[in-house]
Amino acid sequence: MTPPAPADDVLLDISDLHVSIPQRKGVATPLRGVDLTVRAGRMLGVVGESGSGKTMTALAVMGLLPGNGHVSSGSIRFDGVDLTAVSGRESRRRRGTEIGMIFQDPMTSLNPTMTIGAQVSEGAMIHEGLSRRDARTRAVDILRRVGMPRADRIVDDFPHQLSGGMRQRAMIAMALVNHPQLLIADEPTTALDVTTQRQILDLIEDIQDEFGSATILVTHDLGVVAGRADEVAVMYAGRVVESAPAQELFRDPAHQYTRALLAALPERARQGDDRLFAIPGMPPDLRSETTGCPFAPRCHAAQEDCRSGPVPVITRGDRHEVACLHPGDLAEAGHDLDDVRTPETPVGGRGHSAATDAGEAPGTVLDVAGLTKEYPALGGSFIRRTVGTVSAVSDVSFSVREGETFGLVGESGCGKSTLGRLIALLENPTRGELRLNDEDVTVVTGRRESRAAHREVQMMFQDSSAAMDPRMRIDEVLSEPLVIQRIGTKDSRSERAEELVADVGLADDVLERYPHEFSGGQVQRIGLARSLALGPRLVVCDEPVSALDVSVQAQVLNLMKDVQAEHGLAYVFISHDLSVVRHMADRIGVMYLGMMVEQGPADVVSETPRHPYTRVLIDAVPTVDREDERDRLLVEGELPNATDPPSGCRFRTRCPFAQEICATTPPVHEFGEEGDSHSVACHFPLPADGSLPVRAEASA
Amino acid sequence: MFFENRLAAVGLLLIVGLVAFSFLGPLLHPTDQVHTDLANAYAAPGVEGYALGTDGVGYDQLGRLMFGGQTSLIVGLAAGLLATAFGTLWGATAGFVGGWVDAVMMRVVDALLSIPALFLFMLIATIITPTVPMLVLTIAAFAWLNPARMIRGDSIALRSRDFIVAMRGMGGGSLRAVRTHVVRNAIGTVIVNATFQIADAILYVAYLSFLGLGVPPPAANWGGMLSSGLSEIYSSHWWLVYPPGILIILLVLSFNFVGDGLRDAFEVRLRKR
Amino acid sequence: MWQYILRRTGQAMVVIILVTFLTFLLLHNLPGGAARSALGLDATPAQIDAYNEQMGYDKPFLIQYMMYLGRLASGDLGFSFQQNQPVADLIVQRLPKTMLLSFLAAFVALVVSIPLGAIQAVTRGKVPDYFVTAVALFAYATPLFFLGMLLIVLFSQTTSLLPPQAPQGFGLGEILADWPGLILPVATLAIATLAAYTRYVRSSMIDNLQENYIRTAKAKGLSGGRVVVRHALRNSLFPVISLLGMYIPALFSGALVVEQLFNYPGMGLMFWQATQTRDFPILLATTTIVALATVIGSLLADFAYAVADPRVRLSGDS
Repeated sequence: MTPPAPADDVLLDISDLHVSIPQRKGVATPLRGVDLTVRAGRMLGVVGESGSGKTMTALAVMGLLPGNGHVSSGSIRFDGVDLTAVSGRESRRRRGTEIGMIFQDPMTSLNPTMTIGAQVSEGAMIHEGLSRRDARTRAVDILRRVGMPRADRIVDDFPHQLSGGMRQRAMIAMALVNHPQLLIADEPTTALDVTTQRQILDLIEDIQDEFGSATILVTHDLGVVAGRADEVAVMYAGRVVESAPAQELFRDPAHQYTRALLAALPERARQGDDRLFAIPGMPPDLRSETTGCPFAPRCHAAQEDCRSGPVPVITRGDRHEVACLHPGDLAEAGHDLDDVRTPETPVGGRGHSAATDAGEAPGTVLDVAGLTKEYPALGGSFIRRTVGTVSAVSDVSFSVREGETFGLVGESGCGKSTLGRLIALLENPTRGELRLNDEDVTVVTGRRESRAAHREVQMMFQDSSAAMDPRMRIDEVLSEPLVIQRIGTKDSRSERAEELVADVGLADDVLERYPHEFSGGQVQRIGLARSLALGPRLVVCDEPVSALDVSVQAQVLNLMKDVQAEHGLAYVFISHDLSVVRHMADRIGVMYLGMMVEQGPADVVSETPRHPYTRVLIDAVPTVDREDERDRLLVEGELPNATDPPSGCRFRTRCPFAQEICATTPPVHEFGEEGDSHSVACHFPLPADGSLPVRAEASA
Repeated sequence: MFFENRLAAVGLLLIVGLVAFSFLGPLLHPTDQVHTDLANAYAAPGVEGYALGTDGVGYDQLGRLMFGGQTSLIVGLAAGLLATAFGTLWGATAGFVGGWVDAVMMRVVDALLSIPALFLFMLIATIITPTVPMLVLTIAAFAWLNPARMIRGDSIALRSRDFIVAMRGMGGGSLRAVRTHVVRNAIGTVIVNATFQIADAILYVAYLSFLGLGVPPPAANWGGMLSSGLSEIYSSHWWLVYPPGILIILLVLSFNFVGDGLRDAFEVRLRKR
Repeated sequence: MWQYILRRTGQAMVVIILVTFLTFLLLHNLPGGAARSALGLDATPAQIDAYNEQMGYDKPFLIQYMMYLGRLASGDLGFSFQQNQPVADLIVQRLPKTMLLSFLAAFVALVVSIPLGAIQAVTRGKVPDYFVTAVALFAYATPLFFLGMLLIVLFSQTTSLLPPQAPQGFGLGEILADWPGLILPVATLAIATLAAYTRYVRSSMIDNLQENYIRTAKAKGLSGGRVVVRHALRNSLFPVISLLGMYIPALFSGALVVEQLFNYPGMGLMFWQATQTRDFPILLATTTIVALATVIGSLLADFAYAVADPRVRLSGDS
C-alpha cells in the first residue's frame, strides 16, 4: 500500500450523482445519489453486486454512459472541475489524458484488427500529436513498463495472438499511455484465471506506486480489494451504502448489507457449518422507485423506519460513513448473524451422514480409472484431417462415494469441464474406465442400456437457462427427462414437476413460465430440480454458481446442500473458485492441463497442499481474511497449449521447483504419510507443514 | 409482438387486399380475358366503361390485372413454399448429419449457386415449354439454395447448444433432438425465410416474362403485362405500364414487410427478459 | 491463412467439377440430343453420326465427360453453326463488356452503399435510417427492367439528358469513349445491387458499433468521427469483401436483363439472343463460363478477405 498522502488531496469528488437511462418501458435509474471521493495517489475499491451501479459510476466519470443515459443531477468534480458541465471536446481531452480506464474483458475490449502498438499509442498520437515513429516508441516503452514480455515484437501483434493476461496488460498500457492522474479499472480480472488475476492485480498495485496515479478498482469480489485498496466503498441499488478505510471496513462492517455480504462468502462459513448466510430475495428493479433503505426488504435487521423513513448517512470514526439506520456493532463482530444463519433442517434429514452414522461404509457411486479424452486437432488443407490430438483429459483416476461431494478445481483449459462431460456420459472417453454404481458404462452399447445409464447421472449447467429449450415451458422442461426415459404418464409427470419445484423452494406458478423469464438464481434452482427428476445417485455440477452474485450464490449453495442431504446425492462439483469448492466438497481434485495433480480431503488439500500448483492456486485466490501471513507461492506465465503439452510433468514449465526428472518422467500419484486418501503427482512434493522449500534454481 | 410492428401489419393488409383483388375482383368486375377485341384496342382509361383502358389486343386492363395477379400470386406462393420446404429439408439434413454428407451436400448448393439464376432459368425455359407448373418447378429448383444454406447454419448452431447437450444427458437421441427442439427453434427462421422466398419468386416470374419466357398468352401475369407494356411507354399508353409495375412492387414490398415483422416477432420473444 | 486459402481452393475445385458436370448433363439431355441441337433440325443422320463420332458421343458416359472437360480446358467451347463461329471466339468478344458493366455497377454500388450503410447504422432507429431503408426496399422490390425503363423515361425521354441506348462499339475502348451511354445501364444495375450492399454494411456496422472495443476507443478520448470511421467502419468492411464475391451471380443475372433492356452488346445479350434462336452451343458454353467466372470471382474475393483481415491472415497454420 502507498504511504499516506496529504489527507485533503481530493482528486475526484462525486456528489449526489443520479443517472437515468430512458428505455422502451420506463426509465431506468441505475445511479440514485452516489457520493464518492478519491484522493490523489490512493486506491479506492468500489464493491457491489450486479446492478449496484458500480460500473455505471465508472462510466459516468468517463462520460461514457451507454445509450441515451445521462446525468440527471449531482456533480462529478475532477481536479476541481465539474465533469458533468464540460463540453464534449473538453470531456474527450480529459478522458484521453487525465483519466484512463481498463475494461473487464480484454478480448472484446481490444480492436481485433489493429495492432497492439497502434491501439496503445492511438491516445498519445491524438492528444499529444506524436508522430507515428514516436508513438511506436512510446507504445514499446509503456508495454515494457506493464511487464509485457518481448514488448518490441508484441507491439506489431494483433490481439488474437496474445493470451488473456497479455491482452489485459495491453489494456493497462493503453490506459496509462498519457500518464493519467486517475486510473479506473472495471472488473479488470473477472475474465481471467486466478493465477493471471493475481499477476494483473499486483501489476495495478505496482503501477499506482510507480506512476503515482489514483486508482478506482471496481469489482464484485470483496477479496480483490481486501489488502489492496486504501479505501472501500460498498454500493447497493445505485447508492454507496458504506465507505471506510479498507482495514476498518473488513474489521468493522457496519451496514447490514456489507455484513450480510461478508457473511455470505463461502470462505467465511464456519468450519463444519453446512450452510452459508444467504441474503433472501433479489436487488430491487432499477426501473421502480424505492422509499427508505433499498436493502430493507432483504435485511434481517430491518425495522419499520427502514422501510419508510429517510436514511441519513452517519459517520463512525475516521472517514467511515454508513447509510444504515440499524448498523451492526463491532462488539457483535458478525455473530449476531449466527442466529440468522441457523440451518433450516432439511426435511429428509442428512442423507450422507446417515449412511456414515449407520456404521457401514458408503458404497461407491463413481469410479474413474485412467480416464483419457483426446480430441482430434483438425488441420490439412484440401481435406480436413486429423493432424494431432488435443489432450483434454489425461489418465485421470478417482472415485466418489455415495452422498459425497467431490470438488474438481482448476483454471480454464485444465480439462475439468471435459471430465465432467465424460462422467455425465455426454462424451465417450478415448481410453479408460468409468464405472457408475459398479457398472462399467464405457462398454454400454445398446440404445436401451445407454438410455438406462443416463438415469444414474445427471448434469447441472453453469447457465441453466441456456441448457433449457427457450421455447419450452418449465413444466415441459422438468418432465422432459421423464419423457425421454419413458417414465410415468402425463399426469404423473406433471405431479413430479410440481414436487420438483417445491423441492427447490419455488412456487407452482413457475411451471407455466419460460426459462428466460427467470433470474440467474431462480434458473439455477430449476436446473437443479431438473437434474433431480430421474432420481440419479450422482449429479455433475459444472460451475453451477459462477454466474451468480455472492448473495444469490449462497442461496443456491445452501439449496444444493439441502437437496443432497435429502436425497443422499453425490456431487461432482466443478468450479474455478477454490473457496466455493472448499465449502462444498468433502474431497477435492486439482487439475492442471488435463491431469489430476493432487486429490484428497478438502481441508487437507486446502490447508496443506503438496503439489506446487495447488499451492499456487490457493495462494493466488484473493481472500477477505488475510491473517495467514505465510509465504505465497507465485508463478509467471499462463497455461501452455494442450495440443502439445510439456513432456513429463505438465506443470514443470511454470514450476519453480522443476528439475531435470520433471521433464523426462511423468510423476505418478503417491499417497502422503498423513492420510489414506491424499495423493499427489509430483516428484518434489511440498512439505506437509505448509512451509515452502528454498527455491531450487533451475539446474538444467 | 407481430402487430406491434406497423409496417408488418400494413404488409399483411396489402397482401390480403391484393389476393382479394385478384381472386374476388373478377366476381365484381367480370371481363373476357380469352377473346381478343381488336376493335377496342388501346382504349384510354375511363373510355367506354374501361376503368383502366384496354391493351393492344383489346383486353380490359383492370380485368387483366386481376387475372394476371392470380398467376403471379400462385406461382410466387407455390414456388416460394416449395423452395423453402425442400431447402429446409436439405439444409437440416446437411447440418445435422455433418461430416462428408454435409460437405458434399453443400458443394452441390455452391455449384448451383454459382450459376447465375437467370441464366439457369432461361436455359431450362428454352429446353422445356413454360407452363404454370413448370414455371413453379423451375423457380423452386433454384430458389431452395438460400434457405438450405440458412437452415444448415441454424441446425449446426442448434446442435451444439446447451439445451441439446442437456437433452443428450437425459438419454435422448438425435431423433428427439430434431423432432422436439430443432423444429421448435428453427421454425421461425423457416417461416421468415419463406416470406422472402415468395417475394423473390414473384420477381423471378416477372424477369422470366420480360426475357420472353413467361407463360404464353392468353394467360397473363403482372410481370408479363409490365414487360409487354414497356414497348408502349413511348406511345404514352401509360396505363399498360404503371399499374402492373406498381402492383408488383406493392406485392414484393408487402411480403418483405411481413417477413421483417415476423423476424422481429420471433427474436423479441426470446430477448424479452 | 494458407490453410484457409488451400481449403477454399479445394472447395472451389469441387464446385467447378460439379458445375461442369451439370452443364454436361444438360448438354446430354438437350431435345433431340447434343448433335441435333448443335447442327440444327435439318442435319442428315450421316452428319449427326459423324458429329457424334467426332465429339466422342458414342463412347461411355464418363469418358464423354472427361473429353468434355478436356475440351473445356483447351478452350474449346463448341461451335455455333448458327453464327458459324467457335463459341469461344464469341465469348472472348463479349465477356469483357459484361465484366466492364458488372465491375462499374459493383463499384458504384459499393461507393454509395458504404457511406449510406454507415449513416444508417449511426442513426439507427431515426429518420435517416428509416428513409434509406425505405428507398433500398423500393429499389429491391422494383423489377430491374421496370427500374431501367423509369430511368430511361426520366433521363432520356422526358429530359434528353442521357442516351437511352448503351454504347455499341466493338472494343472496350470504343465503349468507354461513348461513356454517357454507359451511365443509365450502370446506374440501373448499381441501384439494384445497392439495396443488398447497404443492408449488409448497415448490419455489419451495427454489430461492430456494439462491440466493447468501441467503448475502449471512446475511452481514449477519440473524436466521434474517428471512432466511427477508424474503428467501427474499418472493421465492418472486411466482411463486405466476401459479400462482393457472393453477389457476383446476382450481378450477372442483372447484367442479362440490363444488356437486353439497353441493347448493350455483352454476353448477356448474346445469351438472350441465343435463347430466341435456340443456339444451344452458345447457351451451354455461356452458362459454363459465367459459372466459372462466379466461382473464381468469389474465390478471389475470399482470398482478398483472408489477406485483408488480420484475424484470418494471422490465424494459426498447423
